[in-house]
Amino acid sequence: MSSLRTCVRPVVQAAKAWSYRSRAPANTYATLREIESRLKSIKNIEKITNTMKIVASTKLSRVQRAMFDSRAYGETSDEIFKKAETVPATEGNKLIIVSSSDKGLCGGIHSQISKAVRAKLALEPDADLVILGDKAKTQLARTYASNIVLSFNQIGKEIPTFAEAQSIADQIFKLGKKYDSIEIFYNRFKSGISFEPTSVPAFTEESLKTSPNFTAYDIEEDLAQDLTEFALANAIFWALAEGHACEQSARRSAMDNASKNAGDMIGRYSILYNRTRQAVITNELVDIITGASSLQ
Amino acid sequence: MSALRLATRSVLRSRQLAAPWRGSFRGYAEVPSDRIRLNLTLPHQTIYQDADVVQVNLPATTGDLGVLANHVPTVEQLRPGVIDVVEESGATKQFFVSGGFAVVQPGSLLSINAIEAYPVEDFSAEAVRAQLAEAQKNATSGSEVDQVEAKIELEVLEALAAVAK
Repeated sequence: MSSLRTCVRPVVQAAKAWSYRSRAPANTYATLREIESRLKSIKNIEKITNTMKIVASTKLSRVQRAMFDSRAYGETSDEIFKKAETVPATEGNKLIIVSSSDKGLCGGIHSQISKAVRAKLALEPDADLVILGDKAKTQLARTYASNIVLSFNQIGKEIPTFAEAQSIADQIFKLGKKYDSIEIFYNRFKSGISFEPTSVPAFTEESLKTSPNFTAYDIEEDLAQDLTEFALANAIFWALAEGHACEQSARRSAMDNASKNAGDMIGRYSILYNRTRQAVITNELVDIITGASSLQ
Repeated sequence: MSALRLATRSVLRSRQLAAPWRGSFRGYAEVPSDRIRLNLTLPHQTIYQDADVVQVNLPATTGDLGVLANHVPTVEQLRPGVIDVVEESGATKQFFVSGGFAVVQPGSLLSINAIEAYPVEDFSAEAVRAQLAEAQKNATSGSEVDQVEAKIELEVLEALAAVAK
């Protein structure tokens, strides 16, 4: 009985040793190839994010200039409402215009503006939504799909033009619904590295006519409506231009961070790859040397 | 009807000038009493920003309007035409605008939002003539939307033809 056990044990042990030895080199070779392919893909990603960062930073200066011009334009358009001390209506039909864009990879731009809009909609669930840009649409359609009356895409490819803003305003008027208060949500450009989701009101004809200081102005009867329609287009243009500037600067810093992270990973994986490669070579050498020495 | 409107407007205007101005000024520097502060802005360019000028002539839909210091606050829609700006140095700059709004704010501040404005010297008469012929052709053919657009184009070009050299 015990002799059976003793002759079985060496066989089992030999089998174990044989299977371990044949598996060990196969394991490290497969791991080496995995690490190599991983390293290659991270290097590609780093190249892409680096290019995107450079593209975004070259666009940044032009986009910022356009934003400052649009700010001067929008503030001039707003001046009459400031001087007349217009306040937006609190009752009635409300319209919320969300300025976003179609492209991602720009950090928290779309999610932050969607968060701000969702917070507003929690207070006014009957408001109508007009969404400029697919990214915000996908985020808001999840919970507020029934509020969306209009959505636009092909936004954010280039610096927004006034013609785009005008046609958006035109489509809003073509809806035919009379809104008592309109609010535009956009990301305000604070600096090259920070932005803030903000909202500005676009005043309607009634809010203008009932402003405290409106009588100071000498204005033709029908001009108030034309003025407020024009002011809406101006405000949409301003929101689009600022949003575009925020997006470019956010994309630049997001791609910058991604490139840095990819660079870190490349360093780590390169060290791991070299270490693994050396271990494989050492193992092969050990096998050869033990084989050679056992022959002697 | 228009005479009545003119009469009420002139009454309003004189009333404004007589009433003492009680406004809340923000922390800007005061506009000199014989100047008007001009903001002439376009969507993609700011031509004048907080510039103190002597006089501005505007082509409004209700007629041509000259704005000097202490003008009564007004809201005017601009028709295609030339804006003259008489600067402090005495030089007059002329810009052709396609349209927009001009608002004289209380406190001698003139805010103009124009869609397009270029110095009159930058236009070439032949290009205007060629586009005029094209627009005239489109105004009589094509879909209704195209015809209306061509008519608007014609209005701008005819005003431009009168000014372009």
